Amino acid sequence: MSSIIIETSGLTRNYGDICALKPLDLVVPEGEWLTVMGHSGSGKSTFMNLVGGLDRPSAGSLRVGGKDLLAFTEDGLARFRREFVGIIFQQHHLVPYLTAVENVMLAQYFHSVPDEAEARSALERVGLGHRLKNRPGELSGGEQQRVCIARAIINSPKLLLGDEPTGNLDHKSTVMVMELLKELRAEEKFTVIMVTHNQEVAGWGDRTIYLDDGMLVREERKVEA
Amino acid sequence: MAMALKLIPHLIAWFGIVLIMLRGFSGRRSAVLLAGIFGFVIGVAGTLILYRSYPGSITFGVVKSTLGISFILLWGSSVFAIYRSTGRGKDTLRGERLISASSTACAVSCLASIVAGAVCACKLSSFATGGAIATVSLLLMLVSCCALAYAALAFEKRLPEPFRVSPAGMLAIVTALLLFSASSILRLDLFSPLSMKVMKGVHDFVHQFMESVLFPDHLFVRSYIWKSIGLLFSKEVGFWGGLIIWFTPAVLIVTAIAIQRLPSVAHIRQGAERRLQSAAAIRERRHRLVIPVLSVVFFAAAAYQSSFPSVEYWDPKPLPVTANQAGEIIIPKKGDIDLEDGKLHKYLFKQGEREARFFVLLSPTGELTVDLDACAICKPDGYGQAEGSVICYYCKTLIPLETVGKPGGCNPVPIAFSVKSESVVIDGTTLINSWGATVQATTRVKEGGK
Amino acid sequence: MKRLFRTLFAAVSSRGVLPVVIGLFLLIYIGIAFFTDETLITLIALTRRSFFLAALLALIPLSCLLRIIRETTILLKIRRVLRGKPVEAIPELFDEAVTLHASPFLPELEECLITAGYKTRRSDNVLAAWRGVSAFPVRLLFLIALFCLFTGIFITTTSRTSNRRMVIEGEPMPTPDGVGGIVERITLANSTGSVLVKTLAMEVGPSNSGDGRRTFGLYPPSLYGGSFVYPRYLGLSIYLKFFAPDMPTGYETRRSLNCYPPGKEDNVAIPDSPYRIAFTIPVPEPGSERYISYITGKILLQFKVLKGKEVLFTGSAANGGEFVRDGYRLTLPEIRRLVVTDYIGDYGVLFIWAAGLVFVVAGCIWLPIRFCFPRREMLFTFDPDHTRACSRTEGRARIHAGVFHGALDLVDSRSNEHFQAPDRQ
Repeated sequence: MSSIIIETSGLTRNYGDICALKPLDLVVPEGEWLTVMGHSGSGKSTFMNLVGGLDRPSAGSLRVGGKDLLAFTEDGLARFRREFVGIIFQQHHLVPYLTAVENVMLAQYFHSVPDEAEARSALERVGLGHRLKNRPGELSGGEQQRVCIARAIINSPKLLLGDEPTGNLDHKSTVMVMELLKELRAEEKFTVIMVTHNQEVAGWGDRTIYLDDGMLVREERKVEA
Repeated sequence: MAMALKLIPHLIAWFGIVLIMLRGFSGRRSAVLLAGIFGFVIGVAGTLILYRSYPGSITFGVVKSTLGISFILLWGSSVFAIYRSTGRGKDTLRGERLISASSTACAVSCLASIVAGAVCACKLSSFATGGAIATVSLLLMLVSCCALAYAALAFEKRLPEPFRVSPAGMLAIVTALLLFSASSILRLDLFSPLSMKVMKGVHDFVHQFMESVLFPDHLFVRSYIWKSIGLLFSKEVGFWGGLIIWFTPAVLIVTAIAIQRLPSVAHIRQGAERRLQSAAAIRERRHRLVIPVLSVVFFAAAAYQSSFPSVEYWDPKPLPVTANQAGEIIIPKKGDIDLEDGKLHKYLFKQGEREARFFVLLSPTGELTVDLDACAICKPDGYGQAEGSVICYYCKTLIPLETVGKPGGCNPVPIAFSVKSESVVIDGTTLINSWGATVQATTRVKEGGK
Repeated sequence: MKRLFRTLFAAVSSRGVLPVVIGLFLLIYIGIAFFTDETLITLIALTRRSFFLAALLALIPLSCLLRIIRETTILLKIRRVLRGKPVEAIPELFDEAVTLHASPFLPELEECLITAGYKTRRSDNVLAAWRGVSAFPVRLLFLIALFCLFTGIFITTTSRTSNRRMVIEGEPMPTPDGVGGIVERITLANSTGSVLVKTLAMEVGPSNSGDGRRTFGLYPPSLYGGSFVYPRYLGLSIYLKFFAPDMPTGYETRRSLNCYPPGKEDNVAIPDSPYRIAFTIPVPEPGSERYISYITGKILLQFKVLKGKEVLFTGSAANGGEFVRDGYRLTLPEIRRLVVTDYIGDYGVLFIWAAGLVFVVAGCIWLPIRFCFPRREMLFTFDPDHTRACSRTEGRARIHAGVFHGALDLVDSRSNEHFQAPDRQ
């Protein structure tokens, strides 16, 4: 039986009078691909921000990787984000004046020290060995997202968060990115939590939870063929 | 209040020394603190006893020699550190157990504190000459020292844990603090005499080198080449050479730490973990750099204090004197000026187009002495008087008052005189000729001809 | 015995010998400085007289020689290792050494290293990779230069001899052992070179001992009779005759005058008398050639005849001239050019010059190698039960380490697949 990587109990987040996330109890085993779905304002991104250490809950408990995130100081949270979490955004957020390899090395720099050989290796792994010296503006949407994936996994995170990573991609690129994530997850053994509107993308996960108005309303497990 | 202000640099240095010792030997805090306080008290007491029993020049000489030895030790340590860093061998420090032993911690702390206490006592003795003021000053200083030691202990506990001190870094900062403390006392200052010796050493070396490689005389060589070589014979070469020697040990230690190989991470197979280990080693190395870099700052402060001392020299304007028909200059011992007041009295004598500057001084031994306001080595920039010595303005060498009147080195050239009917009598022609010969000789030396 | 020899060899060939010996000499220098202002000269004299100090100084060139042997041995071992030959104590030759799980040899490892810019060599179960240029030849040059420098210093300090002689035009050339050929001419001339403003040539005729015609210049100084001929100062050799009313028999003598540059005074004291004659060369007009008298040989000597401190009279006389006044007569039948010359017996000079040249060459070669093409090496040995990997670099360590660690990851991942494959099956 695999260990638990995320465990929440009564996890709540309020923004003033607005309750973005109502008390949530959730357990995510290690290595699982969890998809979070829901309409806008349902609390998906709030949940992901809490789990990724980007925000602090208003109430409840949250344990990630066996550590109580509420006990962390700001420095501790920053270290947790650097070493434990990798994030892929919809908007890429690549530095436009740096090349692909330099963008990946930037993630290494903030984590520890840059290593160009390792960054090259990571880009070759995501199929961009021939595009190392190109800037984001010279890459297609799919290629940019693959650079983001390389950037997100370069520091061997245990938890990979994706906030609508295929939101700006066409169908073909979406499939390519999802295939890549599936392969990498099998190799690196990290846990994936992905937020999406897309039912097709949700189908790649092991389990899907549905949030509505900050509450967990439904849960579906993928049936193995 | 003024006395308290004068002791501030020394007390700051003492605080810094204790702080570094406590962090450097962090497993032995109590022992280090007690050894430090004990050492400081011993240093103060020993120096004051020495000062009361022997001439001041001996006491200051002993303390100055100790400071010199610590600087030489620092040099040795820095060369060792850079050799270790640039070697390909395994980076193990033999004797690491010895360095971290309790006895070593106490011994090092005690020794450093003895020297710090001795320097403070030298400062105290220069302005608190005796009686109740001296006793009160001494007690206040000892109380301050204990209070500062405990303050350093409290402060050290608040310092971040990763902030470490290497043995070489510790030696560098302690030496820097001691020299900074000593540089505000003219007779303990090392930088100025070092510059003078460097100037002399460079002169000698260049001269010998030219002789060794059979370099032609300046008559045969183009003037621009000789002028370039002549730069090595100027006073500035002593200053810049002294600065190089002054800063090099600390810079070598900084360099040794900065270029030290990081521990191998080849045995770790995960890239992120390897990089984390390397980053931690780099961070730890940067923390170890802080103290040596700080020591460079204190060395700079010491050099600045030495070059621009806050001491006011007694340097009266030379009074014009004339010779009588027999060619004798007669200066009454008592009159408008009391020649026996222990202060420098300067005079200017002219004979035709030639002139000579000289001074009359009562030395601590009770004897009057008449000397040229110039020495046989330096340009005739003259002398000033301060803190029990006269100082040559050209080379900043301090000459103890007890030795003024004796020839040699940078001492002012003594002039024969006699005492008749409560007046000092000097032969004018002898004075003028002596001045002419001295100035001519020092000008030749300055030009650096073979 | 062998162990003692090894220990001694290791100690003397250590890098620490140079700073320790120099440090000791500096300490002695500092100690001497307290007692005398002539510190360096005293230290040199002390070293010359003391066997212990001379032996200490000799330790440095000896250490350089032994270091050359030691480093050459190490380099040869590394070369053997990279060719796949068995060598003892391999990890000590490298900066990093790692042992991994057993893995078959990987062609893709070699490809990966070639892609990274390394040259490779494969033999049996060994893969060696390298790039850049080894700095060993430069290190060799540097050690040779150090050896030359300190050998030169040692020879100069312990055996330098210096004899000062007057080389006079028309007289036999003096040597430390006797005399040589006649000095036919001494020529001082202006130079257009960038270093020397004047040249000096002493032309010497054949000697009785069989030496042919020679000309001695300024730089580099020539060897004569085993010593370097080192011209120092210009002067004049005069033959003078002096008669005074109270010295009817007169006094004549040949003297050397150190009276250059013009204006410099030199004296001839008449023995057993209160008379002294001070000679100077008149200073030429400003802007004209200062040494014109020496260059042309047309010398006019100004003199002052003193009796005690009293100046009796002054005057001037050219070569062959005579001056008469009030019963005093001064004749200068002969004025010749003279060069005050040192004969330096010091072969250490050659070593010091050689050292300077070799240092410059070594520096010029080292800089581009170190900053543009530093040597980086890797070695992989694939044994049945483990794989050993070693790495060594002379520069760009961070980049090289990245490639090395990446190669290790590749080997490790393949060995994991190799071990997991039976489970999958």
